[in-house]
Amino acid sequence: MDLRAGDSWGMLACLCTVLWHLPAVPALNRTGDPGPGPSIQKTYDLTRYLEHQLRSLAGTYLNYLGPPFNEPDFNPPRLGAETLPRATVDLEVWRSLNDRLRLTQNYEAYSHLLCYLRGLNRQAATAELRRSLAHFCTSLQGLLGSIAGVMAALGYPLPQPLPGTEPTWTPGPAHSDFLQKMDDFWLLKELQTWLWRSAKDFNRLKKKMQPPAAAVTLHLEAHGF
Amino acid sequence: MALFAVFQTTFLLALLSLRTYESEVLSEPLPLTPESLKVSVNSTCQCLHLQWTVHSLAYHQELKMVFQIQISRFKTSNVIWVENYSTTVKRNQVLHWSWESELPLECAAHFIRMRSMVDDARIPKPGFWSNWSSWEEADAQNMLGHDPLFVFPKDKLVEEGSNVTICYVSRIHQDNISCYLEGVQIYGEQLDRSVSAFELKNVSFIREKGTNVFCKVDQGGVLGGIVLFVSKVLEEPKDFSCETQDLKTLTCTWDPGSDTGLTKQPSQSYTLFESFSGKKTLCKHRNWCDWQVAQDSQETFNFTLLAENYLRKRSVSILFNLTQRVHPMTPYNLLPKNVGATKATMTWKVHSIGNNSTLLCQLELLAEGKVIQQSNVSIKVNGEYLLSELEPDTEYVARVRCAYTNHFWKWSELISQKFNTAEAAPSEAPDVWRNLKLVSGHPTVSLFWKPLSKVHANGKILFYNVIVENLDKPSRFEVLSIPAPASSTELTLDQCSYQIHVTAHNSVGPSPASVIVVSGDPGNEEVEKGRVNGTEDGFSVSWKPQSGDATGYVVEWCDGPQDLPCVLQWKNLGPNTTSTVIRSGAFRPGVRYNFRIYGISTRRMAHLLEKKAGYLEELAPSDNPQVVMSKLTSRSFTLSWKDYSTESQPGFIQGYHVYLKPKAGEQCHPAFEKTVLPEDSVCCKYTIDNPEQKTFVVENLQPESVYEFIVTPYTSVGEGPLDAFTKVTTLDEYSHTLIHIILPMIFCILIVMIICYLKSQWLKEKCYPDSPNPYKSSVLSLIKSKENPHLTIMYVNDCVPDAIEVINKPEGSKIQFLGTRKSPTETEFTKPAYLYLLPTEKNYSGPGPCICFENFTYNQAASDFASCGHFPVTPQAPRHQLGPLTSPENLLKALEQNYMNSLGEIPAGEANLNYVSQLASPTSGDKDSLPTNPPEPALCSEYKMQTAIPLGLASAPPSENSSLSSTTLLGQGEHCR
Repeated sequence: MDLRAGDSWGMLACLCTVLWHLPAVPALNRTGDPGPGPSIQKTYDLTRYLEHQLRSLAGTYLNYLGPPFNEPDFNPPRLGAETLPRATVDLEVWRSLNDRLRLTQNYEAYSHLLCYLRGLNRQAATAELRRSLAHFCTSLQGLLGSIAGVMAALGYPLPQPLPGTEPTWTPGPAHSDFLQKMDDFWLLKELQTWLWRSAKDFNRLKKKMQPPAAAVTLHLEAHGF
Repeated sequence: MALFAVFQTTFLLALLSLRTYESEVLSEPLPLTPESLKVSVNSTCQCLHLQWTVHSLAYHQELKMVFQIQISRFKTSNVIWVENYSTTVKRNQVLHWSWESELPLECAAHFIRMRSMVDDARIPKPGFWSNWSSWEEADAQNMLGHDPLFVFPKDKLVEEGSNVTICYVSRIHQDNISCYLEGVQIYGEQLDRSVSAFELKNVSFIREKGTNVFCKVDQGGVLGGIVLFVSKVLEEPKDFSCETQDLKTLTCTWDPGSDTGLTKQPSQSYTLFESFSGKKTLCKHRNWCDWQVAQDSQETFNFTLLAENYLRKRSVSILFNLTQRVHPMTPYNLLPKNVGATKATMTWKVHSIGNNSTLLCQLELLAEGKVIQQSNVSIKVNGEYLLSELEPDTEYVARVRCAYTNHFWKWSELISQKFNTAEAAPSEAPDVWRNLKLVSGHPTVSLFWKPLSKVHANGKILFYNVIVENLDKPSRFEVLSIPAPASSTELTLDQCSYQIHVTAHNSVGPSPASVIVVSGDPGNEEVEKGRVNGTEDGFSVSWKPQSGDATGYVVEWCDGPQDLPCVLQWKNLGPNTTSTVIRSGAFRPGVRYNFRIYGISTRRMAHLLEKKAGYLEELAPSDNPQVVMSKLTSRSFTLSWKDYSTESQPGFIQGYHVYLKPKAGEQCHPAFEKTVLPEDSVCCKYTIDNPEQKTFVVENLQPESVYEFIVTPYTSVGEGPLDAFTKVTTLDEYSHTLIHIILPMIFCILIVMIICYLKSQWLKEKCYPDSPNPYKSSVLSLIKSKENPHLTIMYVNDCVPDAIEVINKPEGSKIQFLGTRKSPTETEFTKPAYLYLLPTEKNYSGPGPCICFENFTYNQAASDFASCGHFPVTPQAPRHQLGPLTSPENLLKALEQNYMNSLGEIPAGEANLNYVSQLASPTSGDKDSLPTNPPEPALCSEYKMQTAIPLGLASAPPSENSSLSSTTLLGQGEHCR
């Protein structure tokens, strides 16, 4: 392609125009606070890590409980685990939730689950299992802190537990050992579902907080030159 | 009737009075019915608790009674248990009785009733049962919730090996309920429409978290279950014993066995109970417990160790006297004192036990891990013991343990201490040997000695002293000090005899001297050579005893093969010895070892007695000799392997085998033996049984035949490899005659060729000089002298060409080039190079003679004329003249026009055509006139038909249409002949 002298002047003018408007492009206009994006990403990564960690822990713990709890197709009725926060929710309902509600539900759920999990840890008979559970509790505590960070970055207040509704782990005498095992099973199952749901929530939030990828498109066609 | 009424009244009164008497005075056996019967259910132990009273008893009356209890299940008629319970009853006393049900009580309603009977010895009459109480129902199902399925017993704790009955209660009245033990389905007995029971026999421990039993409605999503906690059976503590270290504290230890800990049940606990003092303590540890001895000097103790968990208790007891269970503490501060070369004193301390107690301590001395001395010492607090008979410069370990002297119970733990004894002078002279040889004509003795063993060195050897004493000149000594760990030295001597003393020195002093006498004469005396047989143990060497005054013998050998440097070894033997076995880890099979036996005279001088050679194990030769074939004739050839050494072979060479593969069909010579080789080929074999015969003549062969041979040595084990036969072809019978003729002929031809080569220049000049070079032609000189003295030779350099030949080389690209526009500057480069053959004004060096051809003779006049006929030829033609020349007509026109223009440009008188003589390639002429000097024309060497073209066309590139011959282009009469 032959370039004439007049073409280069036209291209220079175009480049100058583009550079003049660059500060107005949102994606490039980040000089100060990076916003909630990185913390959402970290929360999402931590959720995925916990999912992975739970897979190993659940296998060990369910073997510790014995059959039928460690059988892959075991799906018992939810007899004694009513107090556990349910992760399953109708899809339409879930879609209708706003970011604040989602984050609040996540925060509350993990607060409850962490408490139950600590009770599980106290009850465990083997030292190795206690170590694994303690490690997972620490990670889950980190996830709670991470969610709190995201909520703070987005300007949402942390949910305050109502007095008297704090979850407590009490191996009551009326609660048989079999039902207790069922509770343990459901605790791990709910934890797994919550982590899966949270991963979706944070991924959705992450995408929402990201600027559109096509915000900067330099049209450098040389028409008119 | 009245009589009957009176009699009846009297009887009743009598009976009443009798009853009153019995009940108040004589304890009449009345039917005392149990009252206030209450039944309660204890689900934890699956027990029914019954309580009742007997109100009918009189005050302060105690009667022994029997209560018969009946228990029915599901309905009153289904009696499952009847038991008589005997006890002493007081008035209004609440009586208790328990019954443990195998079937969980939640699974079935139970009904209980009882009756009683007085069974007291004070009432001689036989008793009779009271009436039954009313049925009492115990129904734990009422306490259940509203779940559809229940499994019982909940969270039961049982011992391993026991039998357990499991049941479920279904409120959905379905038959498709399955029950599983640890995931495996179990089958039971249906007791009722909604109740089934399963008996688990001999249950075993599976995990701390319990054994899971659950029932579920198939495809119904209803599930119920229990966890059965199976505890291991509590074991009786084993090896229970108590001991004290200081008579103040007793430490009791035991082996607890396996832990019965479950999440439902903590580990078993241990309690120590002492019966004399009545004290007990709950032990904090599973396998030991401390007990403080009271100050009142209790000597005898009776301990009971009680182990218990939720299900069982086990105990074990011991009785002992405190002073018989003393286990002293480990001694301390064990130290060596005054350590000499052979003696050392050990000191140590012990912890005191009570007042004036004595301890028996055992001191052990170890060298190289073995106990070499053991001593017992009684001490109170400080111990000391003198160890003697120690070896100098040796590391020892001393260790001490102590026991209570009054009553031996156990040794204390050991305490150890290392120490080294001091050095002493070496106790033995070093073992010295020598090797004599001549180095540069001087007798040289190499002295070798073996390092002293640790036992004899008594310390670290620092150096060796070698004192050389000349026996012929007794006043002369030479002292050499050789630092350790050297084990040899070399001395250059003269022809005198020398006595050499060798001593080893450590930090304390020298060893006794080892003396050896050598003479300056190496000897090399010829002695008897023999062979020695090797066995697995080594070489058994024997020799003839030396007559006379031998004080001993020395056998000398080298450890390595002959081709390696000799590591001299020797063995000293007593004067009465005539044989020995030489052992060495360095001996290898297939290596020849040479042994020399020396006798030692009273003057301590060694004389060689015998030489022996042997193999630990003979092997077959691994290589064949390098055979040289010579003296090849039509019927024989000679084989020779003079360089083959029989000494360095892996066995004693006994001879050689000569294998010869004959022609097909040819028989072996009678001296040969027919044999079959491993590859099944037939061969003739000749055996040479003298290892020193290293030549062999193969005879009686066929002329012009191919033979293959191999020579292989053999030992007692086998022969060398038969792998590489050498081929040889015998000569024909006339070949030698032919050789006598052909060789001289070849020689003569060579002579002639050499002469020809040397005289080639002369021959060339004479016969075929370089052409044309008329100056060198002898013919020319002949003509010159005889015919025309003015006749001269034509120089091609002087030749002015008079015609240009256009060589037709059609090139398509150049035709195309003519049709395109190009700048004038570019067209300049298209000038044909060959135009420079003609001199131009610029580069023409000067006029030269030009010769025109005229009737093929040289004309001097013409030459003169031509000398002024040169004019510049410009290759630059106007563009329009380089226009299309695609047709012959155009070409002709162009030529004509060009010609006319040329005429117009050239001054008058010079408007001639130049004729370029057709020259041979310049390379064929004088090389000095090549284009490096362009103004000089090339030498003319060859003449062809000449043509003329206009100068202006000289640069025109050839085209297809320009392939016309030159005669077509030129007009007649314009040739310069």
